[in-house]
Amino acid sequence: MVYFAFMLLVGLVLGLVGVACNPAPYFAAFGLVVAAGMGCAVLAVSGAPFLALVLFLIYLGGMLVVFAYSSALAADPFPEGWTEVTVFEQLAFYLLGVVAAGLYFGKHWYTLFVGMVDSCSKFFTIRADMGGVVAMYGSGGFMLVFCAWVLLLTLFVVLELVRGLSRGPLRAV
Amino acid sequence: MLKVLIPTLMLFPTTWLAPKKWLWATTTSHSLIIALISLTWLNWTAETGWTLPNSYMAIDPLSAPLLVLACWLLPLMILASQNHTRTEPISRQRTFICLLISLQAFLILAFGATEILMFYVMFEATLVPTLIIITRWGNQAERLNAGTYFLFYTLAGSLPLLVALLALQNSTGSLSMIILNFNPPLALASWGDMMWWAACLIAFLVKMPLYGVHLWLPKAHVEAPIAGSMVLAAVLLKLGGYGMIRMSTILDPITKEAAYPFIVLALWGIIMTGSICLRQTDLKSLIAYSSVSHMGLVAGGILIQTPWGLTGALILMIAHGLVSSALFCLANTSYERTHSRTMALARGMQMLFPLTATWWFVANLANLALPPLPNLMGEVMIITTMFNWSPWTLILTGLGTLITAGYSLYMFLMTQRGPVPEHIKGLTPYHTREHLLITLHLLPVILLVLKPELIWGWFY
Amino acid sequence: MSPLVLVVLLSSLGLGTAMTFASSHWLLAWMGLEINTLAILPLMAQQNHPRAMEATTKYFLIQATAAAMILFASTTNAWASGQWDITYPSHPVTATITMAALAMKIGLAPTHFWLPEVLQGVSLTTGLILSTWQKLAPFALILQVANYTPPYMLTALALCSTLVGGWGGLNQTQLRKILAYSSIAHLGWMILVAQMAPQLTLIALITYIVMTTAAFLTLNNMDATKTATLASSWTKSPTLTAMACLVLLSLGGLPPLTGFLPKWLILQEVTNQGFIPTATVMALSALLSLYFYLRLTYAMSLTLFPHTFNSVTPWRMTAKRPTLLLSTTIIMTTCLLPLTPSALTLLI
Repeated sequence: MVYFAFMLLVGLVLGLVGVACNPAPYFAAFGLVVAAGMGCAVLAVSGAPFLALVLFLIYLGGMLVVFAYSSALAADPFPEGWTEVTVFEQLAFYLLGVVAAGLYFGKHWYTLFVGMVDSCSKFFTIRADMGGVVAMYGSGGFMLVFCAWVLLLTLFVVLELVRGLSRGPLRAV
Repeated sequence: MLKVLIPTLMLFPTTWLAPKKWLWATTTSHSLIIALISLTWLNWTAETGWTLPNSYMAIDPLSAPLLVLACWLLPLMILASQNHTRTEPISRQRTFICLLISLQAFLILAFGATEILMFYVMFEATLVPTLIIITRWGNQAERLNAGTYFLFYTLAGSLPLLVALLALQNSTGSLSMIILNFNPPLALASWGDMMWWAACLIAFLVKMPLYGVHLWLPKAHVEAPIAGSMVLAAVLLKLGGYGMIRMSTILDPITKEAAYPFIVLALWGIIMTGSICLRQTDLKSLIAYSSVSHMGLVAGGILIQTPWGLTGALILMIAHGLVSSALFCLANTSYERTHSRTMALARGMQMLFPLTATWWFVANLANLALPPLPNLMGEVMIITTMFNWSPWTLILTGLGTLITAGYSLYMFLMTQRGPVPEHIKGLTPYHTREHLLITLHLLPVILLVLKPELIWGWFY
Repeated sequence: MSPLVLVVLLSSLGLGTAMTFASSHWLLAWMGLEINTLAILPLMAQQNHPRAMEATTKYFLIQATAAAMILFASTTNAWASGQWDITYPSHPVTATITMAALAMKIGLAPTHFWLPEVLQGVSLTTGLILSTWQKLAPFALILQVANYTPPYMLTALALCSTLVGGWGGLNQTQLRKILAYSSIAHLGWMILVAQMAPQLTLIALITYIVMTTAAFLTLNNMDATKTATLASSWTKSPTLTAMACLVLLSLGGLPPLTGFLPKWLILQEVTNQGFIPTATVMALSALLSLYFYLRLTYAMSLTLFPHTFNSVTPWRMTAKRPTLLLSTTIIMTTCLLPLTPSALTLLI
């Protein structure tokens, strides 16, 4: 199981590197999907499958939008893959960085690690991740209201930034 | 103290509310009354070392003459500035007078402060009005450079002083000048202590200025309008000397050794700046360098730390304040007529203005320390105490006196004697205002001959 | 921008700062910071101009990065210690990361590069909000976290900021960039004592906000964004020009003015703690900043450019801008030094 989790973590890092090395948007979106999927899998393996499932669904929705948007915006006949020289340079740089950081921190990077999400499950009747959701809806009501306001504000700000024909600053650029 | 400070502050509304016609007359007479009231500080009736009108301000025999000098200078500055602000709009004239008044208020607070930190704040506070006087009211474009030099030389010296003072407050618990004398001597031994010692003095040595950090002074003097030159030479430089005298009481144990380089610079500066004076062509610059030379003697007298040295330094500060201010006024009167500071271009003035030539003569004699005048008393006391410290200093101080006589003669001959150049005929005659201005400078100098103990300071 | 939108954005600005102030939970504090960032974006981008857009983008990226770092640090903290309290960062690593992120948010020196660029791209009013109101929420967090960060980090940030702020402004002619560098230098002073005496940080922050408000409003009143424009400011408002000189010198920290108050108290605290070389370097670095303030006063007040406007005569028109805030802050900028004891009594 630990090896499996390790593989997933490596996959997460690789997905992130695949996005960060600046390929064409199709490939970047693919890297993003990989990273999201691996991240959710890590969560599931660590003992929070409910959280992972919710997160994956949300990510999937976002990812679809990003993928559609980027492919619509950048209809590139010869997209730059990870094997192009410019992309590969960055890819190698980031990978070397990951390896160097791994070697530098050695075995100590997880000393902060105290346990799995569900490590105390024997003492509770409900799963920790679901319990967290319940607690959030139960006693964190005001926080949810604020969260909703933040989401609304984000929508508002985005609309304000891009609306109109002449006033949309994105067009001015 | 408040008897003088509050009328000084009330000069601000007076300046802004006085009718245009009476602006200069009102402010001059008001400030002259303040100056006359301040003369009562010289009448020392207290048995103790200090008189304390309140807990923040006090007067002792050291600060009294400097306070009176600061008050005395304001009416003279207002008198002297009338001509060159004549063409300005009335509100700018009022603003200018306000600057001068704020300077006097800060100076009174600086000399009257009982806390060293309060003195420091007021010492710095004088920078802003002086900076504005130099850079806003000067004439040439170089005044900006002069203002920058003035501000940054002074601040680069005095910011370490602030840190040093705060460190001192941390270790002794108080910065009150009144009780600082009673502290046990600080055990100063390490290099850090030496740095602290230097930080305590360098701000004042820059302000004074010591030879080597004096470059801001001639620039500031040359570029400033007359009021700025007067107050710089007469009072602001003395802030440095006053601060050094105050600080040196607590710096005592290591001053004996640590002061050597500064004494050397001060004495060497007398010769060097005197020699620079000998080959000056610019009248104001000559007077400015002569200030540096005299201040070198004062710095030497203070650093030597003997009663004679301190007394001589105080006497020389007061006398030099009045005399150099008078010289700047004289230089300015000739500048306002010929529009040139170059001495070779305005010769033979004795033929044209005989009474003014008399003023030049008296002021020059005072500058080179003619026998009964207080300048001589100060110089002789400092030279004597330096000689007592090390006989070799007599070479430097004696040569300095000789050079002082030399350049005073040179200044007098260049401006007053010789042929009148063709181009300066038809100058306006001197106004009574200008004669009054010089009289008010030279009269105290001459009267001090009769009762010099007023400016003898602590050791009378 | 329609008033309704403006109301929503400005009230969200207030809400974000208030949330960060009131929260003891990292998530809420982070949410407040994000609300702040989001709400200012349309204000920054409202001028339909590429440079404004660039500034908005840069600001958004920097703030989002910093907020992500804060979220990461607080999550790590919760992971390691099991709680989300702001005042209890259990591990020095999380405190350090948080402090680095907050330093990035307010623009302290090693992470300051965005600030001049962003300020240069926005209008003076928005710049005023950016350099005053937007600093409040991060500072509320800094004051709570500073106790747990390594002291050397704070001192290094502070020294770096004052020196960079001083040096960076020296060769600028654009007023907003100069004000940005002045902001960096002032923030350096504040961060220096954030651990030793947080109340002094607060005093420094308040006086800085007052002084910089006066400076921004003065420039706004003169419609000046370049040093060259300042040369003719004396024809528009002579009184304001004369006072602006004092405002700038106060920002520079010259003694009889308010700007000396925080510097004095901070130097005193640092000296009392025994860091005398640090205090000296800080004090001398103020000279660097003073130089560019002094140059501004030269350009604006101390020399009169011998040329008036040849087209319109602005001094004949009545001023339409409200000046109440400007005059109040100018008075506070110049005259507050005697109130030092009251400030100390109120805040300590």
